[in-house]
Amino acid sequence: MILCVENLHKSYGDVDALRGVDIEMNRGEILGLLGPNGAGKTTLVSLVAGLLRPDAGRVEVLGREPVSDARSVRAAIGLAPQDLGVYPSLTVIDNVTFFARLHGFRGTDLRRCVDEAIELLALSELAGRRVSTLSGGEKRRVHTAMAIVHRPKLALLDEPTAGVDVQTRSRLVDAVRHLAEAYGTAICYSSHYFGEVEALDARIAILDNGMVVVQGTVSEVIHAHAKAALELTFDGPAPEWRDDPAERTDSQLRIYTDEPAADIVRIVPQLQHTGTSLRSVRIVHPTLESVFLQLTGKDLVAPSEPIGAAL
Amino acid sequence: MTVVRVRAIVVHELKILRQDPTFLIIFTLMPLLIMAFLKPTFRAALILVGNPGANGAEQAVPGMAVLFALLLVGNVGYAVFREHGWNTWPRLVASPANGVEIMIGKSVTPLLALCAQLTVLFVVGGVLFDLRVQGSIVGLVLVAASLAVTLVCMGLLLISVCRTVLQLQAGTYLGAMVLAGVGGALTPISSLPGWARHVAPAAPTYWAMRGFRSAILVPGSWTVVLWPVLVLLGFATFFALVAASRFRVGDVKIGWA
Repeated sequence: MILCVENLHKSYGDVDALRGVDIEMNRGEILGLLGPNGAGKTTLVSLVAGLLRPDAGRVEVLGREPVSDARSVRAAIGLAPQDLGVYPSLTVIDNVTFFARLHGFRGTDLRRCVDEAIELLALSELAGRRVSTLSGGEKRRVHTAMAIVHRPKLALLDEPTAGVDVQTRSRLVDAVRHLAEAYGTAICYSSHYFGEVEALDARIAILDNGMVVVQGTVSEVIHAHAKAALELTFDGPAPEWRDDPAERTDSQLRIYTDEPAADIVRIVPQLQHTGTSLRSVRIVHPTLESVFLQLTGKDLVAPSEPIGAAL
Repeated sequence: MTVVRVRAIVVHELKILRQDPTFLIIFTLMPLLIMAFLKPTFRAALILVGNPGANGAEQAVPGMAVLFALLLVGNVGYAVFREHGWNTWPRLVASPANGVEIMIGKSVTPLLALCAQLTVLFVVGGVLFDLRVQGSIVGLVLVAASLAVTLVCMGLLLISVCRTVLQLQAGTYLGAMVLAGVGGALTPISSLPGWARHVAPAAPTYWAMRGFRSAILVPGSWTVVLWPVLVLLGFATFFALVAASRFRVGDVKIGWA
């Protein structure tokens, strides 16, 4: 096991940032960490990186504690914090090389791992440019390259695509997938974008108020916590429906069912007996976003753009 | 492995310095200019206090070297505060380099910068203003090297007590003026008021100026600077120990963004 987090607690004064978090990650696994602002994502990442000391509970990276065995844990992790952290006056290659050197790479190994990281993040043509002259998206890619240049066993990417365009996000997602597949890197990927996590085919953990409210693959979470629905629109007020769980609003009736397509033939004829005029029928499939909304009662700050479509 | 990481940080810091060496260039050229203005005044002052053969360079060159070396103390702190400003500090701390390696790596470049500055000031200043070293060149080098080490340790101390880069800047400039004045860098120590002469030995700059004066004016071997060098290294040790006891890599520092 690469990462084991058990009953982790962390407070800042009176504020409980984490209240008993349990997470496990294996080699090559991608964990999408979803949660609204203040849910505890960055605190969790900082605790795993050894930047903070837990109040209670246990964190182990490759069986070692990040605080008491800092050196060996830090050699195994790659951290891209939430805030963009790059050296603006240096070139792209200098930024990436510095972190490879800190991890002990020298000579041909150094050149190879730097070249690979730069190529993976599509930065080859920018390698000689000063970071201060790059766009926001390009800087984000440099920021990520600095975290993965040494091929860490565990990469902690805290909102790596915050504030970047769809193409940059797509490139970063590709790079993350490649890292997990080619090197077996376990990747903890916190994000505000549902589509991104779905595109990564990641296992997800939804954090809210310092607790993991649900954990599993996207399809497991959706099937466990949300149902598909038939959305029926009428000319005039919608009729009542008691045979299945349903919501009624003015001229719309939403009927929740496991098999919406199959149930159309059962439901629509029954509605014709109510004397109402049915205008349209739509099948509504459950999404990660609807699960998130249902579990946390909150929307993520960032809009859930259809990154999956761009990949 | 420790050496590898320290060297990586030193090379990295040198690259950053190479991208913008303005600070170092200005703080090396400016004292040479000021030496030209102050040399006649210092000549008169040195003659008045019993050095009939003095030409003023004996005070102007080491005095301005000490003052402007003090102004470079902030460089040690900027190396840390700019990491906070650039948000690179957390990722540096999360790297395999531990706090000691980071701070040693961060200190070497300012130390080299101070050595380069002092070398230029003594060599160029000495030639331009006819500084005649009657004592030991080795002694002069030993005092300059000890001063550079002491100032770097003073910089580490400032990092440990300052929370913001503005505090660091204020501490550097205020400290430079006070220590240069009390230590006899701005005017010969013998011309200071009585109270200042009494407190002067508490300032490392006093020992630097005393060492430089001994190496320049007193014929003999380098041993004439032994005591000032030891005291300077004592100050350096004290500053380093206090800095080590107060500094925490997790401390919040507010740098320029």
